[in-house]
Amino acid sequence: MAVRMEIALKEHLHDPEGMSLCARIRDYFGWEVETARVIHVLTLDTSLTQDELESVRQEIFTNPVTQESCFGTLARDFDWAVWVGFRPGVRDTAGSVAMEAIAEYLRKPMGTDEVAYTSKLFLLQGTFLERWQVETIARELLANDIIQQWRIHGPSGWKAKDGMGIVLPKVILSHEPSFSEIPIPTDASLAELSRERNLALNPQDIPVIRDYFLREEVLEQRRRVGLSLPTDVELEAISQARSDHCNHNTFRGRFRYLEVETGRMEVVESLFKTCIEAPTLEIQKNRDWVVSVLWDNAGVARFDENSNYSITGETHNSPSNMEAYGGALTGIVGIYRDIMGTGKGARLIAGLYGYCVGPRDYSGSLRPHLHPRRLLDGVVEGVRDGGNKHGVPTLFGNLVHHPSFLGKCLVFVAALGIMPREIGGEKTHEKSPRPGDRIVMCGGRVGKDGIHGVTASSEIYTEHTPAGHVQIGDPYTQKKMHDFLLEARDEGLISFITDNGGGGLSSSIGESARFSGGALVELDKVPLKYEGLDVWEIWVSESQERMTVAVSPEKLERFMALSRLHEVESTVVGHYTDSGKLHLTYGGKTCAYLDLSFFAEDFPQWEFDARWLSPRLRGLTEPVLTEPKDYGALLHALLVRPNICSREWIHRQYDHEVQGGSAVKSFVGRDRDVPSDAVVVRPDLRSRRGLAIAQAVNPVYSLIDTYHMVAATIDESVRRLLAVGARLDEIGGVDNFCWPSVQFDSRLNPDGDYKAAQLVRANFALRDVCLAYGIPLLSGKDSMYVDGHLPGRFGERHKVSGLPTMQFTATGIVPDVNLSVTMEAKVPGDLVYVLGETGDELGGGEYYEMLGYTGCNVPVLSPSRLLPLYAALEKALNRGVLASCHGLYRGGLGVHAAMVAMGGELGIQLDLREVPRKGRLRCDQILFSESCGRFLVTVQPQKRDEVESLLQGLPFALVGSVLDTPELQWIGEDGEIILRETVASLKKSWKHGTL
Amino acid sequence: MSPVRALVLTGFGLNCDLETAYVLEAAGARVERVHLNRLVAGEKRLGDFQIFVVGGGFSWGDDHGAGVIMAMRLKHRLSDELMDFIGKGNVVIGICNGFQVLVNLGILPGFQDAQLSREVALIHNDCGTFRDQWVHLQVNRDSPCILTRNLDLLELPVRHGEGKFYAEPDVIQRLIDANQVILRYASADGQPAGGLFPLNPNGSVHDIAGICDPTGKIIGLMPHPEAFNHWTNHPDWTWKRERSRREGRAIPEEGQGIRLFRNVVEHFA
Repeated sequence: MAVRMEIALKEHLHDPEGMSLCARIRDYFGWEVETARVIHVLTLDTSLTQDELESVRQEIFTNPVTQESCFGTLARDFDWAVWVGFRPGVRDTAGSVAMEAIAEYLRKPMGTDEVAYTSKLFLLQGTFLERWQVETIARELLANDIIQQWRIHGPSGWKAKDGMGIVLPKVILSHEPSFSEIPIPTDASLAELSRERNLALNPQDIPVIRDYFLREEVLEQRRRVGLSLPTDVELEAISQARSDHCNHNTFRGRFRYLEVETGRMEVVESLFKTCIEAPTLEIQKNRDWVVSVLWDNAGVARFDENSNYSITGETHNSPSNMEAYGGALTGIVGIYRDIMGTGKGARLIAGLYGYCVGPRDYSGSLRPHLHPRRLLDGVVEGVRDGGNKHGVPTLFGNLVHHPSFLGKCLVFVAALGIMPREIGGEKTHEKSPRPGDRIVMCGGRVGKDGIHGVTASSEIYTEHTPAGHVQIGDPYTQKKMHDFLLEARDEGLISFITDNGGGGLSSSIGESARFSGGALVELDKVPLKYEGLDVWEIWVSESQERMTVAVSPEKLERFMALSRLHEVESTVVGHYTDSGKLHLTYGGKTCAYLDLSFFAEDFPQWEFDARWLSPRLRGLTEPVLTEPKDYGALLHALLVRPNICSREWIHRQYDHEVQGGSAVKSFVGRDRDVPSDAVVVRPDLRSRRGLAIAQAVNPVYSLIDTYHMVAATIDESVRRLLAVGARLDEIGGVDNFCWPSVQFDSRLNPDGDYKAAQLVRANFALRDVCLAYGIPLLSGKDSMYVDGHLPGRFGERHKVSGLPTMQFTATGIVPDVNLSVTMEAKVPGDLVYVLGETGDELGGGEYYEMLGYTGCNVPVLSPSRLLPLYAALEKALNRGVLASCHGLYRGGLGVHAAMVAMGGELGIQLDLREVPRKGRLRCDQILFSESCGRFLVTVQPQKRDEVESLLQGLPFALVGSVLDTPELQWIGEDGEIILRETVASLKKSWKHGTL
Repeated sequence: MSPVRALVLTGFGLNCDLETAYVLEAAGARVERVHLNRLVAGEKRLGDFQIFVVGGGFSWGDDHGAGVIMAMRLKHRLSDELMDFIGKGNVVIGICNGFQVLVNLGILPGFQDAQLSREVALIHNDCGTFRDQWVHLQVNRDSPCILTRNLDLLELPVRHGEGKFYAEPDVIQRLIDANQVILRYASADGQPAGGLFPLNPNGSVHDIAGICDPTGKIIGLMPHPEAFNHWTNHPDWTWKRERSRREGRAIPEEGQGIRLFRNVVEHFA
């Protein structure tokens, strides 16, 4: 019988969740709600007796000190009550934990059909809101109809005893699982089928696929296992394997690149091979610390003689755009699994994030699925719960607001792990399943999660239809699996491991089978969340928190025993073979029988026309500006801008110190609130060796030239690492591209060829700069189709393409963390130097953007000129002669000198006449140019000679000093003070200012 | 003399076990990280140890109240061993999630000897969200707590969403009177925060950051001493280094947090 338990804080206690809700209602809509209280609802659909129910209510679910509870309702004296619960099939971790707890308390196993569902009842009090307003709050703040359902109640009609009644979001699929053979008489019929089933097969692939299935020897072999035509399972598997997501068809495509202005033409056969793989292999030759790159779930590099670290990054844009919290949470725990599945498995040591979203205060006429403000709040919380509950420090991150991301947001996630270099004489970065090894699926169960368009295309939508295409990650289950798998690894029980992400088993087993030479999988062995999945759905489901592990038969018993100890579900679903076949069965019948060689068939390369229109051809020019007069107001205005202002509210919510190794935190300075250039951690607490980590992203430069966008972004991340004391010759990189569609279509994508050229140029820069700096790409990913189609005012839809974006994540070794340096000014009287030259390079920068311009002179990187300066800086940092070191990034010297002052809570005087420069520059140009390769450092006067001799012959200058008076002062061209602002007032603008 | 043995609990979403084991080792203990189910199965025996630490983390995802389900499991499957362990004068330390476990288990505040009773709670921060920040802590020198012995002022990070210490006024008074309050959130000069955010990061009643039982051997605290294991953990360390360099002073490399654990190890020495 189903009962509903309500649990709430005792009435006299402050309800922070309710008060936060009032604040958000004010922030989002400008409406007043005096108080809100939250009631937690637990709906139990079990066979527990009355006595059992009563005892679990009191003993488990009610804290006698702070809570009250009942079966019935606690809701009273409200103006409005909003109930929010999950839709059927949405991962309800708290619900399953409740069942675990009940079973534990009653010391009896619960039946598979006994379920607990959690939901919430929000009571709004002291408000004059009308129903439509409450509906708006429910829809736009409390619930997302993709994963949640809600009900609104006024006080009238509320039953004092039963409240809102019982809602059971139970998945009921009255469907007999099966598979079927599908005729493909012509290319056209396969193309039609692809449309119907959402297979998204590329038209060029269709003849290759048909040709394979119609081949006589293939037909003959298939007949022997009882198959003839391709099955739905096979076609779905092929669709997954050939998708751009899995196969990177764009990056492996052929680009006919034309520079329209010069007429220069170049055919690039594969961006991946020429701009990512080739330079990395070249660099690896001279860098023995690069251990494993370009094949595994993450790259592996040497940390010290005992350990390697692994790193990778990806994006989770589309899911986050639909359901921000669940999408981001699933993204961060998903990238963790890549680390857990690299080599024989690594221990997680860091998570990183990057968000690109529309303006927080957007009030235009386009209507994105989620308003940017809500979307950002959701992704921030998703990454928070994923990291915090996994015990992984979330160390660093970025946030960029730009209207182009209204169409689709970007959510970057990255993670690092550490592993011993060898275990039992075997190298941990190597792995391979052997024929005969058992295929074990560990972790969660399989449901209709992440299956493409299933709800839209093939199901009638009912109240019991699983809302599977958007998922909610479960860090608790995954943390248990993480601990279990590391123990199994250390006992030498794992031959091979990989995660189940995109494509599910179809990817993890399909790809690993290529190492052993085949696999036999019994799909009816796969544990399911609920009955009724079709066979192909089991194979391609993207249900989270699962790893696929190869375990040799003699080690299986031990592996399963450990799995039980950790209370992680593990199931043998088949074994690896050397048959050359991917052989799937269901109920003893073969449902797929594909040659592994098929996946390496000669599929045609994707082709793109790429036409580069130079900034001049696009009509970009520099703005005609005179020098501003009120520098004080100007600086304040810059500091409150959404892409400059403090993001402490985000990072404070992230546990960035768990594991105890933090040495340079993301917040530094006397008040611990100014962002650091990079972070440094000690992954091995017994060692002084550290790992520096930084990320950079500068999409606005793409408005001028994506080549320089990428170059400046890599340079920024390198400078960030150098600034905290990382070694220049042990820097690894991870590139994450997010791009709008680059396939030209005169109607749907009329500038597709220009976007393709932007992609080519971005990759050229990646190649050139990585080679120049000697940065191997330890990992990377691309995410295409950053386009959204947003409804407008009149029922029309607008295509909104995100700016071409590449986030670069860089890691560097810090030989001794005791020598790390932070960015804030330390001691009054210290000398202030600017290193590197400032040029007339304000294009795409923050200053121009604020004034409404793009400009034309984007920062141009010249690695060969900068490297000697970087080497000298590294030496100075090693000798401990710099009191602080800070790179100059977005916003330029003006903004970043303010950061150094705010960090130290000390004044800084800058004489702008002394700043090293290229050509004649006005003060505003010196202050707000975003030229690459620059730093601001402070030095104890006694160290002056030593610092200056280290920098001799390089572009640097003494430009001022650290002041006791906490004031920022700028001296202009005529020697007069053009800005004098207290550090406190600047900080107030930066932390609390409004536009 | 045989070394002092410490057990750091692992499993089910607990997560600060590595650094907690590290600081205990640095303090001189011989440490094992042991999964809860190994204790339950009898593979490892609590009786072989003198120090039992339930550290930070999110046991069972903190669903249904932080530490609630871990507490229930300990009560159901280990309460005899645990009461026996405590009865022998051994030490139990709960840090963050572990503190939440100990209060839900009811061995803290331990007003009645050898009886489990929930008298206090750690509930959602007043600020409404998880926070990671460093806090100043005033140590109660009159407390029998062995962890904080001979300390005055501490700086440690807090990292929690449910750290507001709450109890009814009579319970609070009893804790104060018996010197069971061991740590209070404070300003830099050691004055209690008076509830002022963010000095008191969560709204804890009476600025309470940690308590002990009347014997001083069962201890719970929200801040993370294991996260101050090296001087570079401190948020201001580069500033302090620069000052000390110029004054020709050396700063010890060891973090202040290790001292707390050394107190415990030395208690058995």
